[in-house]
Parts: sequence; C-alpha cells; structure tokens
Amino acid sequence: MDVILGITTEKEVIVITSRAAVRGVSILKTDDDKTRVVAPHTLLAYTGEAGDTVQFAEYIQANIQLHEMRNTTELSPPAITSFIRTQLATSLRSRKPYNVNVLVAGFDTATDKPELNWIDYLASRVKVPYAAHGYAAYYTLSLLDRWHRTDLTLAEGLEVADMCIAELKKRLPIDFKGVEIKVVDKDGVRTEKVTE
Amino acid sequence: MSGYDRALSVFSPDGHVFQVEYALEAVKRGTCAVGVRGADIVVLGCEKRTAMKLQDTRITPSKIAVIDHHVCLAFAGLNADARVLVDKARVEAQSHRLTVEDPVTIEYLTKHIAGIQQKYTQSGGVRPFGISTLIIGFDPYDKTPRLYQTEPSGIYSAWKANAIGRSSKTVREFLEKNYEEDMNREATIRLTIKSLLEVVQTGAKNIEIAIMASGKRIEMLPVDSIEQYVRDIEAEKEAEAAKKKSRAQTSSN
Amino acid sequence: MSDPSSINGGSIVAMAGKDCVAIACDMRLGMQALTVSNDFPKIFQYNNSFIGLTGLGTDVTTLSEVFRYKVNMYNLREERDIEPETFANLVSTTLYEKRFGPYFVGPVVAGINSKSGKPYICGFDLIGCINFAKDFVVGGTSSHQLFGMCESLWEPDLEPEDLFETISQALMNAQDRDALSGWGGIVYVITKDKIVKRLLKTRQD
Repeated sequence: MDVILGITTEKEVIVITSRAAVRGVSILKTDDDKTRVVAPHTLLAYTGEAGDTVQFAEYIQANIQLHEMRNTTELSPPAITSFIRTQLATSLRSRKPYNVNVLVAGFDTATDKPELNWIDYLASRVKVPYAAHGYAAYYTLSLLDRWHRTDLTLAEGLEVADMCIAELKKRLPIDFKGVEIKVVDKDGVRTEKVTE
Repeated sequence: MSGYDRALSVFSPDGHVFQVEYALEAVKRGTCAVGVRGADIVVLGCEKRTAMKLQDTRITPSKIAVIDHHVCLAFAGLNADARVLVDKARVEAQSHRLTVEDPVTIEYLTKHIAGIQQKYTQSGGVRPFGISTLIIGFDPYDKTPRLYQTEPSGIYSAWKANAIGRSSKTVREFLEKNYEEDMNREATIRLTIKSLLEVVQTGAKNIEIAIMASGKRIEMLPVDSIEQYVRDIEAEKEAEAAKKKSRAQTSSN
Repeated sequence: MSDPSSINGGSIVAMAGKDCVAIACDMRLGMQALTVSNDFPKIFQYNNSFIGLTGLGTDVTTLSEVFRYKVNMYNLREERDIEPETFANLVSTTLYEKRFGPYFVGPVVAGINSKSGKPYICGFDLIGCINFAKDFVVGGTSSHQLFGMCESLWEPDLEPEDLFETISQALMNAQDRDALSGWGGIVYVITKDKIVKRLLKTRQD
C-alpha cells in the first residue's frame, strides 16, 4: 500500500509520499512521484487504482492550468479542492468511477495560511490539520494526534514527519523504498528531501 | 452586387472567395501588431487603441494573449473573434499536454489555429475569423525563438520579423530596412518599438510590449520602461535630423 | 459494513419546544472505524430553515451545495425567504428525483415559520418520504439510541433553555453508545427572532 501523508505547520504544508510503485507482489519502480503540481501554490498527492490515479491527476492539472490561462489568475486551494471533489462526486455515480484518493496541499495567498484537504474516492471532503490515506493512516494518525500542533515550525514539522516515517518503516510489511518530502508554502512547491 | 459574396463557400468566376477578402479588410482596420525575433528572445509589440476618459485601462483586455506558459499570441482585427480563437488555442495547448505529455511546439499550435481559420472559410453557416495573428514562443527543450503568422484564409508562415493590421505595409518595409541577424535583447526590443513608432503617433502610452525568453514565462514591459525607449529613440532621431541639417548647410556653403 | 449510510457515521436530532425548535448534530467523519476528522458539521442553514444531513459524507456535501443553489434561485425568483415547510418539500422532491440511484442520506429539517411563528420539524428517508413529527425527529447511525433518549427526556412545551439541555443530553448520551458518532457536537436553538448556536465539547473517543 502506498504511503500518502500530509501535515500542516504554522506556515506550510508538508507532503510525504512513498517512492515505490507496487503492482501485486512486485516493486516496479523505486523513484515514483505520487504528486502533481496543479497550480503554483497547490500540490495534489494521490493513491488508488493504477491507471486511474495519474489519469485523474493530470486531467485535474490540465483543467486548472486552462483556467489559469483563460483568466490570468491563480485558483485558490479551496477552489481547486472544491473542483476536484465535484469531479470525483460526478465520477462516483458514472459507469466507471475513478478509484482515486487524494490529498490537496495548498498555501492560500489570500489568507496567508496553509491548508490541507482530505478527499477519498467517494468524494468525501474534509479540511484537516493532518491526514493520510490507506494503511499509513492507521499507523501515523495516532502519532500525529500526540505530536501535532498548529504552531509547528517547519523543522518541528519535519521532525514529526520523520517519526511517522520511522513508524511506517517498522510496521508496514512491504518496503516502500523511502519517501519524497515536499513542502508547499508562500513561495510555492519544493522538494525538501528524498530518502532511500 | 455581383452575387458571389452571398454564400461564403462560393467562388466568383475569377477565383475569389469574397468573404475571405472582406475578413482581410477587417484585419487591415485593426490596430497594428509587430513581432521581431532576436538571437535568444522574441518580442511582440502592439498598438493600443486610445482609451476613453472613463475607461479602466488596467483591466481592459489586452491584444496580447498567453496561450500556454511558453506561447503567446497577438492579433489584429476583430477583438471578439480573437477571443474565441484564443480560447480554442488554449484548450488545444492543454489537451496536447494531457495526451502526449509535452507542451505544444509553436509550429503545431500555429498549424492548429490556421486549421481552424481555414475551416471557417469552407463550412456552412459560418463566416471567417476577421483576424490575423502573430504567434511567438519557444519549442520545448529548444532555445530558438519562433515567430509565425496566420491569416483569415488559413495561410500560415514563419518570419524573422513581421507586422499585421493597420499600416502593416509601412512597418514591414521599415523592418526590412532595419532588421539585423542575431540582435541582442536591447536591440530587439528597440527595433520593435521603433517600428511601431512609425505608425503610432501618440507614443509610449499607446504601445504594449511582450517579451519571451527560452524557459521563462512571458514578460510584459512596464510603461515607464517603454517610455524610456521612446525618449531615447526620439532623441536619436532629433540628433540625426540636426546632423543632416548642419551637413546640408555646410554643403550649400 | 459496506452499507453506504454507515461508512462515514454521524447523527442528527431535532426537537420542538414552546415557540422554539432545536437541531443538533455530531462532528465526526470517519472511514469505517477510523476517525478522519472531528470537524465535520452536518447542519446547514438556508434562510430561516435548517437541515441536518447524515449518511454518506460525499452526499452530505453534494446535497448541501445543491440546496444552496436551489434556495438561492428560489430567493431570486420569489424575492423572499424560503419557509421551513416549503424547504421540506424542496428537499423531498430533490431526493425523489434520484429515486432509482439515491443519495444515501437521512435528512432532518427544522425551523420556525416566519409568518405564523409555528415550530416545524420533520425527517425524511433517503428517497424523500417526509416524516412530519410534533415532538422530535432523529437520523444517522445512532438513530436508535436517539429514539430512546428522546422518548425518555422530551416533554411538551419546553422553553428554549430547557430545550437546549434536553437535546444536548439526548445527543451526547446517544452518541456515547455509538462508535460511529461523536467527537463533539453543535446545537442550534431557534426562536422567532433569535438563533443561538452552541458547540458541545464531548468525549474525544
């Protein structure tokens, strides 16, 4: 199972995704990136059914960028989140729904605040201080309940992230081949660290 | 009336499609747009129509439209027609990214736009787009500046420097005289503004300049910066005129 | 456990009092037994009508947006606020439109008619059958527990403050016996000229 984890701190959102691409019992790839930058200040992290995930993420990306070109303005993270949810909700009741779970990490330049949204394939959406999808949630949410504060600094946030990763390494039965840690803040999206 | 301009797709006996020629007429009445290729940048210059007193110029749409991060387009002709064409181009740019994971090349996009314009000269119930376009940008993984032109008929062509719209002939002749290969940034911008000044009397506040460089997003030149160029060009012109005058005097003596 | 209406969990209760009504919900959103959020309110206000939506999380959000759209259109067309009775019928028809592919929700409507001043509460099944009640209506994963609590705590003609106490105790004690509801609560006490919203701090487990 893929690891998708998001943690908000006082001024940024930290996004952690595993680097292994797993199909059945095989690891096909150890440098997989499970995120897409959909707008300058919004990062989309995803897990789910193999074909659906990238297809859906890129579809969202294309539409957000088209909107940006048409209106010469950046969409805010809540607007993008709302759009993604509507797309998933419509898809849910279609002939072949997208089987994709996502985290939308963004920095709202209007309010100067980081924000993280959790959306599953059923299109349930919640704004949360920290979130995870899949089995990773069972191991990390309790850690985050204990250590998370809204006024975390980036360094403290990364420390909490490291605790979560250590726990996942210890408890998940399949090696997820390290993680990519990305940060979304007022300057946009950047890769903070890549581990083996 | 000759009758050959009633239905769009009907030829006149001497081989003209009148509606397309009328569209070209609409282009000629549109404000002027210039494109110039330098060594490693490409510049678009536009004549802006003088705004009315109460018009809010900051949010009035510009004649220069961004199609994707690496392509932009200027047009001459009917503004409303251009909006439709620009939107089709933007959708195509994103759709291309989505299907083949690569940004569009400038030639591909030009061909696509020209293709749409051609369709509107041969279909029923429509009229041609009353616009010509200049398309500039950089192909992905490439540092060569590109400049293309399209016309209402669907013709497209590549250029080193060109002008469309009102008095485009004058400007093109000026460019033909003054264009040099491999101009640097300053020279390219300067030539663009200088060529526009041939037909724009009102100066800097009626000129718009967009600059594209490889791997960078579009840069709109600020008004005060354009003003500086205009002042420099005018000073130079005056100095030249003065020199000519004194030379004329000495020769007559 | 793959029953759509009990994946995310959540509960709603509404009560009528003397010239007042109250409506309350919990704050949990989960995936089966895992709690994802404790900040997922389920009561939405449209003019002087309130609706509590429990069931599948996605449909709660979708319907709240659909009702926002429809009530806004109603306001523009009629140039007046929508009354609770009218809103209840709007909810009913909206749900029945999806008779053969329903939204998995259990809505509860509460409000006071601005003309007559009469309290109004009612509940629905997932395809829009209205259940009008004079005393109380319940909905969500702890609806059985809520029935028991309301049956023993509710009495006629409660004043606003007493109604608040009654509905809060009913909600809190019901959700403590339900693993899928809880994690805080919100209570609205509505009188003709005042709306009081209170947050309940409850057990976080």
